[in-house]
Amino acid sequence: MTGKSSLLLIMGFAIIFMVKSKNFGDISTRSTDNYVNYYVETVAHDIAISAANIAANQVFIDPTWDDGYSNVAFQGGEYDVQVAILDPYKNIREVTAQGTFHGITKEVKVKFAPSKFSKFAYFSVSEGGTIWWTGNDTVWGPFHTQDYMRAYRHPVYYGKATTKKKLIYYDSKSKDKPYFFGGYEQGVDLPLPTNAVDEMEAIADDDGLKFHGKDTVYLTFDGDSLKYRYKFSDPDSSVYLPSASPNGMIFAKDCIVRMKGTVKGQYTLGCSSIMKPGNGTIYLDDDIVFNQDPRQYPNSNDLLGICAENSVYMTENAANNSSINIHASIYCEKGGFGAENYADRPPSGNINLLGGIIQHTRKAVGTFGGGGIKSGYAKRYLYDERLLVASPPFFPGTGGFEIVSWLEL
Amino acid sequence: MGFSTIIDIMGSMIIGGILLTITLRLNDSATGKTYNNSAELSLQENMATVAQIVETDFRKIGYCADWNKFPDPSKAVVYADETSIKFLTDIDLDTNMDSIRFYLGPTSELLSTPNPRDRILYRVVNTEAPIKSNLGVTQFRLVYFDALGDTLPPPITSPGLITSVEINLTVESVAAYDTAYSSAFWRQIRLVARNLKNR
Repeated sequence: MTGKSSLLLIMGFAIIFMVKSKNFGDISTRSTDNYVNYYVETVAHDIAISAANIAANQVFIDPTWDDGYSNVAFQGGEYDVQVAILDPYKNIREVTAQGTFHGITKEVKVKFAPSKFSKFAYFSVSEGGTIWWTGNDTVWGPFHTQDYMRAYRHPVYYGKATTKKKLIYYDSKSKDKPYFFGGYEQGVDLPLPTNAVDEMEAIADDDGLKFHGKDTVYLTFDGDSLKYRYKFSDPDSSVYLPSASPNGMIFAKDCIVRMKGTVKGQYTLGCSSIMKPGNGTIYLDDDIVFNQDPRQYPNSNDLLGICAENSVYMTENAANNSSINIHASIYCEKGGFGAENYADRPPSGNINLLGGIIQHTRKAVGTFGGGGIKSGYAKRYLYDERLLVASPPFFPGTGGFEIVSWLEL
Repeated sequence: MGFSTIIDIMGSMIIGGILLTITLRLNDSATGKTYNNSAELSLQENMATVAQIVETDFRKIGYCADWNKFPDPSKAVVYADETSIKFLTDIDLDTNMDSIRFYLGPTSELLSTPNPRDRILYRVVNTEAPIKSNLGVTQFRLVYFDALGDTLPPPITSPGLITSVEINLTVESVAAYDTAYSSAFWRQIRLVARNLKNR
């Protein structure tokens, strides 16, 4: 009797323990499953991100690459990449990367658009010496220099800032660190083309307006019309721009251009240099502004590119001695943007620029001392934010793509 | 005979009592372990759920299905402090920007749960009513970093400087046997929303 009771007792306890053990085991298993599931999803996501980065790198190396990848083993899983051309005219591409790990698939979609130099608020190959960006300097859009970025007392960059060479602090990081609102990357190599302005001639020949065989071309934008002459004392001739330059390209071959006026529509002016080293230079004789300033008219479609093979200068004359207004994206392939006789001209007010400056070598626009301007101009540069998504027609491109959106699903 | 029977009965009672005590203690212990283990499982599931929601949303900061509509991603973070953030993203991929706000409610909101530390983590899309669920969150702390990787000290007066975020999340069981609350901690050391660095 006692033995039977003991046996029942032991069996009872054994059953209770078994049930409890199973219960604990189930909880542990589910807990581990939960952890493993999160881990698997994270690894699948990381594989997808890596695949997107690998594909993006391939697109940057070879802008025509659209092969994609299929079933590539990676980190214990695999990835697939497809490249789709969403808009053949604008050449908008989308990379779709899928990372798979232990049956879980995660996806990343990256869109690319051709990169134009006009997107920059400021670009330089050379900073023209040891020039410091100071706490008084604010760059309102994307910034790039192939040179060092020298920072003194917290300059501010609202767009993405990139440099090929390193960032140098005047004293120390704590005293001089720039404020980067759009991020910062170092080691980005983005050379300026050497023949982008020359290539504009063929575009002008195709369906644009071309001036050639003259030493100097005087251009006055007058809304829909363009007035031109070849000598200062000559009377102006005039063309209706939508007919004279349907594709928006105006090209002045191997000469000097002097320009001013009010631009209606979207145009790019190119000025090349072949025979004379001083040619390929554009002088701004007076204000050059949009018919509709986008700050007052947010739907304004007016855009202007001023592209000189050499330099763009603000002329020293009466009109420019009390400030100058410029609405344009300015491109100087071998020279820079500066003020004529910057050190000898009188204090000339402000450069009120709405647009961007892309130049080979930074040039001076004035001299400063005693807390004010001694000669030339003070800078009042404002970025035209439309240039983030639009560009003047046939404005020089970087030859590559940039990432415009990144979606992780 | 009578004495020996009494001894037998008393012995049986003592042994029975010991066995009963053991059984009761075993039951108590088993109940406690079962309760706490189950709570720990829920806790882990809660943690994974919160982490996935937060990660998914944060990775989309500054995204728009039509990138032309939101070309300047530096404007994506609208507001940021240590326990809350508001940012812009195209959450439903309809090419219109939405705002998402995460913030932690006060402990006084959850007096109904035994855990005195748990709080509601709110997620608000645009002007919709806040979505709330009690997942036992006791800490939701955000640390922000600028483009050079330096910590931005709170309060964040210029949210545009933010390029990456550290997310700290602690989840505790909302109830526990004998107030032995389980907790789990998750940290995303550097969550970089890629759209913040475009262009």
